[in-house]
Amino acid sequence: MVRMCTGIVRNRATAEEIVQDTWVAVLNGISGFEGRSPLAGWIFAILVNKARSRAVRDGRTVSFDGEGEDDGLAAAFDGRGRWKDMPELWENLTPERIVEGRSILAHVTAAIETLPPAQRSVLILRAGQELKSSEVCAILAITEDNMRVLLHRARLSVRNALDAVIAGKGL
Amino acid sequence: MLSCKEVAERASALIDGELGVFEALQMRLHLAMCKGCGAFIGQMRTTRDLTQRTLPLDNQPDAEGARISAILSRLHATKQSGG
Repeated sequence: MVRMCTGIVRNRATAEEIVQDTWVAVLNGISGFEGRSPLAGWIFAILVNKARSRAVRDGRTVSFDGEGEDDGLAAAFDGRGRWKDMPELWENLTPERIVEGRSILAHVTAAIETLPPAQRSVLILRAGQELKSSEVCAILAITEDNMRVLLHRARLSVRNALDAVIAGKGL
Repeated sequence: MLSCKEVAERASALIDGELGVFEALQMRLHLAMCKGCGAFIGQMRTTRDLTQRTLPLDNQPDAEGARISAILSRLHATKQSGG
């Protein structure tokens, strides 16, 4: 929860405060929770609302609308849509394998930390698998199309980071 | 025929099972003939799986989740009965 929150408010101390506030709200509100949606989804909705209110209050507008960055693979294709550099299989990849001084899992975690807030939120919420797509969309107040674009871009960024480390080439 | 660029754009949709039958077929035809795209799709799957492995931060996620659910259920029951 703190990681998810830090993606929105960008400051760990603030994120921890918000998580605490969220638990208080959850405990206070639990008798009103009717169980029509999964508990995790309800808790995350409270968390995200608090985080976004705080971000706005602190002067950070958090836009979840696709964020307008360019496609992480735009430069990877030639004029005919073919790969300029053919991707190669990642050989012998285990989460614990050490590459450039860190485990693969540590590289993935680091790559996720650098994602813009919306991409990071979607990636984290979807990765957990407890929430359906529609629930993630409801929590973040975005459309399904929006969510798919964000998820794809987030995965692409992490994949690019891993490929740069594993195959020793940057994209 | 899909280009490699078009295949890459649809990678997440493919691995999440969100492509329609025809589009999925077009993708698989391309992947059968293009090693680069095959490698790329594999990389995206691996990325998805590794991402899942980074969550949650704690070592006993299921136990903690179950404990939290249990506490909240008891609280819920207590509050509903006016206790």
